[in-house]
Amino acid sequence: MNRVAIVGAGITDCRGRWVEATYWDLFQQATRRTLADAQVKAAEVDSVVYGIYNDIFEHQAIPESALTGILGMAEKPGTRVTSGGATGFYAMRTAIMEVASGLSDLVLCVGGEKATDCYDPQSKTATPMVIDTIAKSWDPFFEYPLGATASDSYMQMCMGYDDRYPGDIGDGLVRAKIIEMLCRQGNKNPFGQRRDETVTAEQVLASRWIIAPFLRLLEACMYTEGAAGILFASEKKAREISERTGVPPIWVKGVGAANESYQVGRGGSHKPLHSIVSDRVAAERAYAMAGVRPSDIPLVELHDAFVAQLMVTLGEMGFVPLGKTRKLVDDGVMADIRQLGDAGRPAKGQVLINPSGGLIFGGHFVGGSNMFSMWSARREMLRREIPLALIHGTGAINAVFGGAIVVEFEGGVR
Amino acid sequence: MKQGNILGEVWNLPRGTSEIAGKDPGRYLQFNSHMVTFYQQTYGELSRFFLALREGKLLGARCRKCKQVLVPASTWHCPTCDFVEMEEVDLPHRGVLAATAPITIFPSASFIGEAPFARGYVDVATDARIASFLPSRLRTTTGLPRPGIFVKGVELKLVFEDDRIGAIRDIFWVPMSEVPARLRQKKPLLASALNFKNPPAPKVRKSREAAAALGEALAAMRALAGKVTKSPRAQKDLGGRKHVLGVTTGGGGFTLKIEKGALRVAADLAKKTDFVLVAEDPAVFSRWVADGSLTDAAVEGKLWLPSREAFGVLPILDRLPRSVRRDVK
Ligand SMILES: [Zn+2]
Repeated sequence: MNRVAIVGAGITDCRGRWVEATYWDLFQQATRRTLADAQVKAAEVDSVVYGIYNDIFEHQAIPESALTGILGMAEKPGTRVTSGGATGFYAMRTAIMEVASGLSDLVLCVGGEKATDCYDPQSKTATPMVIDTIAKSWDPFFEYPLGATASDSYMQMCMGYDDRYPGDIGDGLVRAKIIEMLCRQGNKNPFGQRRDETVTAEQVLASRWIIAPFLRLLEACMYTEGAAGILFASEKKAREISERTGVPPIWVKGVGAANESYQVGRGGSHKPLHSIVSDRVAAERAYAMAGVRPSDIPLVELHDAFVAQLMVTLGEMGFVPLGKTRKLVDDGVMADIRQLGDAGRPAKGQVLINPSGGLIFGGHFVGGSNMFSMWSARREMLRREIPLALIHGTGAINAVFGGAIVVEFEGGVR
Repeated sequence: MKQGNILGEVWNLPRGTSEIAGKDPGRYLQFNSHMVTFYQQTYGELSRFFLALREGKLLGARCRKCKQVLVPASTWHCPTCDFVEMEEVDLPHRGVLAATAPITIFPSASFIGEAPFARGYVDVATDARIASFLPSRLRTTTGLPRPGIFVKGVELKLVFEDDRIGAIRDIFWVPMSEVPARLRQKKPLLASALNFKNPPAPKVRKSREAAAALGEALAAMRALAGKVTKSPRAQKDLGGRKHVLGVTTGGGGFTLKIEKGALRVAADLAKKTDFVLVAEDPAVFSRWVADGSLTDAAVEGKLWLPSREAFGVLPILDRLPRSVRRDVK
């Protein structure tokens, strides 16, 4: 495949609700910022890939059709990707393929979500309807009628993991300390939804249960409205744009994806309950393609629905041993932003995890959450001179969709 | 199973628009709308499974080649053997919980009123080397679902609702240990044969420590009750509600009465109560007053409740310490 570079990125402010904007405007804001970042005019873009998770949230079937003209993408090819929580990852994978194949030289990948216009007349709040809309990700025959929610689905994976590895993710204090660290990082994200909040480990432990014993209120990701764009370019185009902007390109080194079966079970192709196989296989494929090991990677932006799942995912992706993911805190594997400051690099054996604040503190606009992660990874690589980063996405019920991208900054300090 | 209409009266909004304030200055409008369709959705190839449920049977699909069993039969053509046609297999009415099950306390809009409930994956075709698990509702005859009941490996009995329509909710599973021995082989076992209505309260161990803890809890609750009389917020929380909650603890019993916007604490277990809650450790109630949560105690299994109705009272009680703190210095 041809080399693919990231030459621009832009995101909107992350908000619980954007009263001031429709999803049309959110996508345009992200597009404007992405193109301005790369000093590129819309006319120069060859094609566009949209990440939009859910038609019910956008309140329009074929929601991307309304965006074409507004984003300056008229008379260009446009592909919409929708793959649950991993929508952003799969949209980027599609954009990367377009460039890698030689079909396009410059592809805009833009994703976002308008989730909290939903309204539940029964409770007179948005949340139960937002949860119900996401719960429609389950089939109508067997799973949805049982009342499953997205939280249950990720929690089921954590419970299956805990059955196999008791005592690892079950220590609330370890999880609370991770939250405290993510919060400090989120405070430094100028676009982050909870950038003004301070959450201590003590507060986490005092917060109410959503699902015992692995998920308290302050351990869960948010619903966000917002959008993010990433501009992918061929090598020639990337050099040209880099000359223009003075910003070096970030290269796509490895892309891995794996979706597990919807059917949960034992043996064969069934999805096991004790493991997020999709995360492991996707990461292994991305490492193999990039020719790297997890120990080479000092920066990870991962899709953290909950802290317990963040721990399991980092275990599956090889940053800490499965069953001993609490080493993140116990052995200081998770780098401390207070020591790193705004320009420092993690020490050998340490990893900077979700400097954006992740989906818990930064933002989680489903169709573009993984682009949000990519935006942050690029930002941190450039300002800290970090050579390699991993971006992770997960989605669909029981976390059966998994994706991972390894990116490289040639000017990074090894 | 109750039939009724799909959407109740609450599922509606008046036509029109309203002004809404955002984060940025400026005037913004929002309009009320909906995006919904009704379905008369065919079960298609899955009809066989749901027709069998109506008849009190659990059907799976078995591949003659690789011997894998699909529960439920999500397809009748084996995806791992070139889509060879699978055969029908009549499955046992017992199974094993494949992984510890989460308990939902914050359901989505369509399931409000059902919480707390447990759902998990049941390994039914345990003799097959390769098998899928049945997504299932899990119920207990010992009160509300709580930690320690639906754990990995627990043996389960399949139970059928007495009135079945051909839906996954026609069936659910209960721990085999809760099924009387004479009913364990019964196929199908109907829900009416088990007692879900009046679960036996768990026995508590009496202790001197618990008696002392009860003294502290009673003092704390009385102080709270006193502050409620000075707190408009707390009185609003309790407004229009009338409950008599008996509580049994390891240190003795007491009663919480809610009436006319007031909370009263009596140091004995009243004869007539709406429900009797059980907590071996009375400190559960001291922690509640100190800005803790009775709902959390129930979720952790430290406070036993006989019914969903009892669970529904807890969020109101949980609001009191905060309301009082905001109103009474
Ligand atoms: Zn087969």
